[in-house]
Amino acid sequence: MTTIVQQPPPTPTPTPPQITLTVPSTSIHSNDHTGTLIIIKTLIIPIITRCHAGYFRITLSLCCQTLLWKTLKDPPENAHAYRRILGLFPSTAFLLLWSLSLLILTTLSILYILRCALFSNMVKTEYLNHIGVNYLFAPWISWLLLLQTAPFLTPKTVYYLLLWWLFVVPIFVLDVKIYGQWFTKGKRILSRVANPASQLSVVGNFVGARAAAQMGWKESAMVLFTLGMVHYMVVFVTLYQRLSGNTCLPTVLRPVMFLFIAAPSMASLAWDEISGTFDFSSKMLFYLSMFLFLCLVTRPNLFKSSMKKFNVVWWAYSYPLTVLALAATEYAQDTKSSFAHLLMLLLSALSVMVSIVLMVYTALNTNTLLPPDDACDPTNATLDPINVSSINLDSSLESSS
Amino acid sequence: MAQNLGMKKEVIPSLIRSIEDNEVVGFDDNVMKHCVLDVELMDSGENKIEPEISNDSLHHHRTPSISISMPSSPMEGQNPKRVAFNVELVGKNEPEPEPEPPTVSTTKFHSQPMPTGVGFEEAVAVGKFPKPLVRNPRIDNLKDERFTSFKTWSGKLERQLSTLRGKPPSEPPVSTPRENVPVDRYFDALEGPELDILRPSEEIILPEDKKWPFLLRYPISSFGICLGVSSQAIMWKNLALTESTHFLHVSPNVNLVLWCISVVLFAVVAAAYLLKIILYFEAVRREYYHPIRVNFFFAPWIALLFLAIGVPAKVTTELPHFLWYVLMTPIFILELKIYGQWMSGGQRRLSKVANPSNHLSVVGNFVGALLGASMGLKEGPIFFFAVGMAHYTVLFVTLYQRLPTNETLPKELHPVIFLFVAAPSVASMAWARINDSFDYGSRIAYFIAMFLYFSLAVRVNFFRGFKFSLAWWAYTFPMTGAAIATIRYTSEVSNIVTKLLSVGLTTIATLTVFGLLVTTILHAFVMRDLFPNDIAIAISDRKPKTVRKWFHRRAGSSEKDIEHYLKYVTSNEKDVVEASVTDKDVESQTPLP
Repeated sequence: MTTIVQQPPPTPTPTPPQITLTVPSTSIHSNDHTGTLIIIKTLIIPIITRCHAGYFRITLSLCCQTLLWKTLKDPPENAHAYRRILGLFPSTAFLLLWSLSLLILTTLSILYILRCALFSNMVKTEYLNHIGVNYLFAPWISWLLLLQTAPFLTPKTVYYLLLWWLFVVPIFVLDVKIYGQWFTKGKRILSRVANPASQLSVVGNFVGARAAAQMGWKESAMVLFTLGMVHYMVVFVTLYQRLSGNTCLPTVLRPVMFLFIAAPSMASLAWDEISGTFDFSSKMLFYLSMFLFLCLVTRPNLFKSSMKKFNVVWWAYSYPLTVLALAATEYAQDTKSSFAHLLMLLLSALSVMVSIVLMVYTALNTNTLLPPDDACDPTNATLDPINVSSINLDSSLESSS
Repeated sequence: MAQNLGMKKEVIPSLIRSIEDNEVVGFDDNVMKHCVLDVELMDSGENKIEPEISNDSLHHHRTPSISISMPSSPMEGQNPKRVAFNVELVGKNEPEPEPEPPTVSTTKFHSQPMPTGVGFEEAVAVGKFPKPLVRNPRIDNLKDERFTSFKTWSGKLERQLSTLRGKPPSEPPVSTPRENVPVDRYFDALEGPELDILRPSEEIILPEDKKWPFLLRYPISSFGICLGVSSQAIMWKNLALTESTHFLHVSPNVNLVLWCISVVLFAVVAAAYLLKIILYFEAVRREYYHPIRVNFFFAPWIALLFLAIGVPAKVTTELPHFLWYVLMTPIFILELKIYGQWMSGGQRRLSKVANPSNHLSVVGNFVGALLGASMGLKEGPIFFFAVGMAHYTVLFVTLYQRLPTNETLPKELHPVIFLFVAAPSVASMAWARINDSFDYGSRIAYFIAMFLYFSLAVRVNFFRGFKFSLAWWAYTFPMTGAAIATIRYTSEVSNIVTKLLSVGLTTIATLTVFGLLVTTILHAFVMRDLFPNDIAIAISDRKPKTVRKWFHRRAGSSEKDIEHYLKYVTSNEKDVVEASVTDKDVESQTPLP
């Protein structure tokens, strides 16, 4: 990214050779005072410019995994034998994962806040993109999930409540904005902009509903659940109809189709929390989710083209599987049959494996994690982040000096 | 041999009727005009009919030849993948000594790639051509090479036969990998509410005016008969067993008789279709890719489910659980395939292919749930109920919308629309069984079914003017289903209105089935067109663009023009290659022995 180049002095005066840090298309002349500052800036700014909301997929997956581990490690009293086996999970592993999730989520949130502050035009571009706008829900969902897994916060405390409000209000505001656009605003017609990522907004509602129900706030939970359910039905029908053909989702983003699995599973979990038992509706939603999972899993060709190069979109495989495993856990808890528990074990194992593989892969490929030409960010299809950053940097430096 | 070929050619209907080669310079005109065109076989082998082209006396007979060939051209002789339709030469009655330019043979219209039958050489070798015209048509059909392309073992059998007869084996005609006919082709080539009427601009690759082999004419929609009759059996069973209808004094024997008839019928239909799969797999494949017929692939399993539901008490009262799993597995696999296609598969998206027959793919879920719940299973029925419910919602909304992108909806009322009634009525019964009571969910579904039924029944005047087809049997089972649901409702809410309703609906259902039975018998034995030629499976893989343009352009063009034209008109690259080499090919051919 940055190179330190020994350059001949650009000015005619015989000054000693300067060490210049070059970013393509711009060069930065440094003073000693602001040297480190500028180095930091030139390291962080490119990260910020490339770090779009889609990177919150990582946090979504990690937080969901944490939730799964938390659920599995504390089996209820009359659990089945299989479930009790999982209770032998070391709780230190869970704490480690929780800390990791917290760390990454905080980092990413701070980066994204900086991005909103410094490059609000890029955030606006994301908002206007029909796929990117859904990922604006992702940070809040991740925080809500992390809240539910906090080892030191029980749902009945005031802090939990406050934090819940903090995270749900943005979701609600986004809901009103985006859902309202679907049926009022001219160009954002649902039949044209609907894509599998739209289900993420629905998932957000369900997560908020579940967290509310755990707090005991049944009515708010119902509000969010109804909101999510109604829009889920609309989005589901529209997505199945595929009115706009295959054009709405680029092939690189095919893993996002796994969101088909996430939405009904999350709804099932939310309804389970609201109604208290895993009744017919939750079961039916869980079965629908299972069916969609089987549908997608038996079609490997769909995802072949997106698996050629590592991409942050791969993280989109992980959290739907985790949510499905969570729903399977509740299902097994209710049905108490061996088959159900086997299913739960299978799905949990699958989700854990996928998450671990993704973590390893990401760790090995950190250099490609933030590629300059981020193909997975639909908003940056033609925009070169480096150029934009260098221009901004130039202007900010000029104003400061 | 060549002379023989020239002399006696039977006039059989050509595949490409609209190509009139009399428009090509050098052909006879008047005589040709009435004649159907020869269809020339393009073989993968070197020895083709073309060699005779050099023979003057045959030019005349060669001229009306059209080569129908696959894009990979056998004309160069190198590509063994060429398949062409195995057709007997059609010829003119008398040879006319007209010198034809050798390039007349270049009037090969490489318009339509056709799967080939093979063994034309041996047909030639065996000297079929000189045979007299009079033949036993049934044996004709069996040996008719035109249908060979649809046979399952089209190439191997004939090759074996030819080697047995001691003829020199031709180049192994490696059959072209059968490409899937894309769904757009079906929409382009066919029309009508059941997508079985050929559009005037299209051709089919099987002869139109000849009666095809029975199995080729046997559609999958014949399973509709099993659906209709077995649902009747269930209805009469319910009439006999429900207390609120005891006043009708229906005997359980009616159910027994109907059930036995259904079993026999199913066995017959299934055996016939199994034969079709074994012998004419290509036809089955094409039915599977047909956007409407694919839904009927659920019909056999639904019929089996009906048989299990309607089993009389005298036969058995307890059905083993594994039977349910066995019956639901094919439905499950089909569902995974078809619903997955709606969600993500290429061109078969729901906004385009949705049609009322899709209800058949959704109703199977509810019927399975009903059977499972009556067997005592719990989770499995709920699974299928959930899946069915979700996809039924999608389908219902899509069909009600009648999207402009949708090409298969009947523009007027057609009996297929009765399938709308099927899903909610069966869903209400299934839910009642799962919950052991006809509660609010079941009632909601039941009332929806009733509303749809009545809104269609009052329009019954408009159900006119449609050609009878076997698929109509499938449309009777919704009426029977509505009657059964009403009987179930009557057992919950028992008053004079519901009882009258159940009697009325039962009568209507029975009368409809009876009327349909009479019509079927009439068509089968009196009019003998119960199984007409199944046009829907015989559409060509390509649009016959060349034909149309060829038609208009023809007016004394030279051979160069023809070649040149063929280069640009055919959309397929490989066709172009063929067209361009026709010239060389003609000279290089060796005359037949």
